[in-house]
Amino acid sequence: MTTPLLSCRRLTRRFGGVVALDGLDLEVEAASVLGLIGPNGSGKTTFFNVVTGLFPANAGEIRFAGAPITSLRPQAVHRAGIARTFQRSRLCLPLSIFDNLMVGNHQHLDHRLWFNLVRRQVLRRQIEENYRAARELLHIFDPPLADRMMEPAARIPMIDRRRVEVCRALISRPKLLLLDEPSAGMTHEETLRLMDDILEVQQKLGGLTIILIEHEMSVIERVTRRCVVLNYGRKIAEGAYAEVSRDPEVREAYLGLE
Amino acid sequence: MSASVIAQYVMNGAMLGMMYALVAVGFTLFFGVLDIIQFSHGDVVAAGAFAGLAAWTLLTAAGVAAPAVLLLAVVLSAIAVTALLGAVVARFIVLPVKGAPQLNVLLVTLMAGTVLRECLRLFYPGGSQPKLFPALLPTSGWDIGGFHLRFDNVILLVSGALLIAGTHLIITRSRLGLAIRAVAQDEETARTMGIDFRRVVLVTFALGSALAAFAGVIDGLYYNEVFFGMGLLLGVIGFAAAILGGLGNLYGAIVGGFLFAALQTIGAVALPFASAYKDVFAFGVVILLMAIRPTGLIGERASERV
Amino acid sequence: MRSRAIAALFTALVTAYAWLLLRAESQGAIAALILVGIAAGILAMRTQLLRPVARSLGSNERFAQGLAFAAVVVIALALRDDDFALLLLTRVLIVIVACLGLNVQFGYAGVVNFAGASFFGVGGYTAAVLASSARLPHLLVLLAGGVTAALAGTVLLLPILRTRGHYAALITIAFALLFRTFLEVNDALGGPQGLKLGEMRIGPLRFNDPISAGPFEGSFYLRYIAVALVLVALAFAVVQRLDRSWVGVALDTVRLDEIAAASFGMDIARWKIAAFTVGNFIIGVAGALSAFMIGFIAPNNYSFAESLIFVSILLLGGIGSAWGLSLATAIVILLPEKFQIIQEYRFLMFAALVVLTLLFRPVGLVPRPLRRLVGPPLS
Repeated sequence: MTTPLLSCRRLTRRFGGVVALDGLDLEVEAASVLGLIGPNGSGKTTFFNVVTGLFPANAGEIRFAGAPITSLRPQAVHRAGIARTFQRSRLCLPLSIFDNLMVGNHQHLDHRLWFNLVRRQVLRRQIEENYRAARELLHIFDPPLADRMMEPAARIPMIDRRRVEVCRALISRPKLLLLDEPSAGMTHEETLRLMDDILEVQQKLGGLTIILIEHEMSVIERVTRRCVVLNYGRKIAEGAYAEVSRDPEVREAYLGLE
Repeated sequence: MSASVIAQYVMNGAMLGMMYALVAVGFTLFFGVLDIIQFSHGDVVAAGAFAGLAAWTLLTAAGVAAPAVLLLAVVLSAIAVTALLGAVVARFIVLPVKGAPQLNVLLVTLMAGTVLRECLRLFYPGGSQPKLFPALLPTSGWDIGGFHLRFDNVILLVSGALLIAGTHLIITRSRLGLAIRAVAQDEETARTMGIDFRRVVLVTFALGSALAAFAGVIDGLYYNEVFFGMGLLLGVIGFAAAILGGLGNLYGAIVGGFLFAALQTIGAVALPFASAYKDVFAFGVVILLMAIRPTGLIGERASERV
Repeated sequence: MRSRAIAALFTALVTAYAWLLLRAESQGAIAALILVGIAAGILAMRTQLLRPVARSLGSNERFAQGLAFAAVVVIALALRDDDFALLLLTRVLIVIVACLGLNVQFGYAGVVNFAGASFFGVGGYTAAVLASSARLPHLLVLLAGGVTAALAGTVLLLPILRTRGHYAALITIAFALLFRTFLEVNDALGGPQGLKLGEMRIGPLRFNDPISAGPFEGSFYLRYIAVALVLVALAFAVVQRLDRSWVGVALDTVRLDEIAAASFGMDIARWKIAAFTVGNFIIGVAGALSAFMIGFIAPNNYSFAESLIFVSILLLGGIGSAWGLSLATAIVILLPEKFQIIQEYRFLMFAALVVLTLLFRPVGLVPRPLRRLVGPPLS
């Protein structure tokens, strides 16, 4: 068995008296798609926030590509090769779509003050190269959208914002992509299309690993081989969707809520 | 240093602390219900002091001389004016920009405060100069080992404490307080519980501002002087005190107010500066405290590490 | 070509108007001019008459800047012997520079600064002290004004970086109040009376001598205008280049969404420091030149109320908009100086105007345009 790309051991995070993550053990194989499911408030998004360093873990360890990243700040986690989307869209709405994509590529851009002020010709070439690359990526998701890169993000519909957000996470060519409920605010068909596009990019990049938080079980069933079910911050089941969906504890966790 | 001098400093500090606490409680109440900072709060305080002064001027001109009547008029008019101003600010300045970027709320209240301040300076007769505030309380007192404990100071301190206790009772015991706490917890839930959100906000602003009116009157009575810019200083320090105690925390605001006054008083005694630098020192402390404890002394909310 | 002609015609009209306003003396004439200006502004907004002008100017920035530059030169030469008008014009230019600096902090990085006038004052006092005690070339003194202002800002960096939004506002307000009080009680810096400065000199050029070259005679202010104009051009170039680069994208992201910024590797502290320091440097240089021009500085010039005027300019013009703040500076500085009746009421008036702007038109007079790093100009 190969070493996993991401592995968490006994990961714990508390908010005041609430234990959002409770000694979670979790592993993700490289180049796989892992589904992360569970009822509302079961700790899925908190898991993303702790992995990406937005909230420090209270206990436990996170290893990524063989190195510990537990106490790294969000910036360092991103540089290590992890990118994410957010449950509620976090695009910079007044900025153009292109600007938003370049936010995702920040670590590869030359942002020294002096360079940006004085070396305008070189900067222009950098901008044009990045423009072509961004266009190519966006084209996979939606060709018409690729022609609208200079429009403000505020002007495009929700589904396109989701696409831009996914592209913003992909453009830096991360090793691990964390998708936090990409279907929120989208129809079933739109979600499936978005996932197909993501998988297409995964094929092209070869080796991209994805963790997907999703409430639409049909999406999970279709795109993941393995999934982990959380409840109250703990892992209650793990395996192929067909298996875990039959698990009595999982059924109870979901039914108990509805 | 003799005991009587120390007692004098303690008295000074207690008086300052009472004013700061009264202002800070307002900041914390507003933050509680709306998650915003009402930057014009300090200027509402000043307006209250001037309203009190105006009432005194009018009544003495009309021949009223009974100190009790005058005092009552001063306090009541200060409270009425600030409560009204607070509600007006909430209704026409704060609520319309609710949901706009935080920066806009900050700017619009700050500028509204400037409007208020400038109105005092320009339209109150002789308002551009410091105005004499009448001594309405008995200035006699007890002599305790060389320290003169004045009645007026004792009265101001006691009534300030009573006001704060009263506010505490309103917040924790009354239906209104329940509504305020519900809105502070979660606006949406409060709405679904049938609480009139708008009304609660307006009443909270009126209440918090009325408390500040008292701070303004104390300021006037204690220093025998009011100034159109006084709200700026009280507002900045009151806000700093509220932060120090943890915004949204009523007790914290009170503790923060007295703590700040203590720091200022000790600084004035212990540091070798001339007293001219006392305001420089006070603002320096504000900046320093923000650097050391940006989220206050009491409690720290979990926030993202960026 | 046609759109350029329209833009040039528009600029000529504005130039003529500014010239008329600057040289008018009777209060009646000034009131009439102001009314005409307001009416024209409202008309232009209602009928969208300015659309083609905006499109033309927006699509060709260089051309627009050239026109504006030429307009200032023409006005300055037309008013060459009117000391007061030239003083006002210089003041407008200097405040534009300061507000461009404030714009980097406020408009781009979202670092609030309610002590703009204080950093302007740091520059001014630096100039006063250095000009009287050191034998430094005066151009270097201007630079030194900027450097000291930037250094003074570092005092506030730690608290500002550790806090957000409202708290940072409180810190700068406290600094503004502290600075003014400090100046008043500190005897070494002249106390409430302030300090005097000698005239500015660059090489053999003595700035306060009247100008006479052959048949041309003009006020000594023309030299200060020339320096101020150069500073405006430099500040404009710096600010706009920063905006239209990777730096601009990073600063905007830090302002709009710190969580997203951090998640994509942006060092929030680094960008805030950069914006705050660059901004204060620009403000400080402007403050130094202002001190030279007036020849006398006092704590009163650097009060919290003045800081609020700077902030008002940004908000009225349109936060983040370089052209907007230039227009707003002209309005905010010239109006009370020319129309004396409102002089006393200016703080009240502009504060009220800002409240109305924030309530009803938060994008300001000239909204900040979308950044377009690539592609054809806005259609």
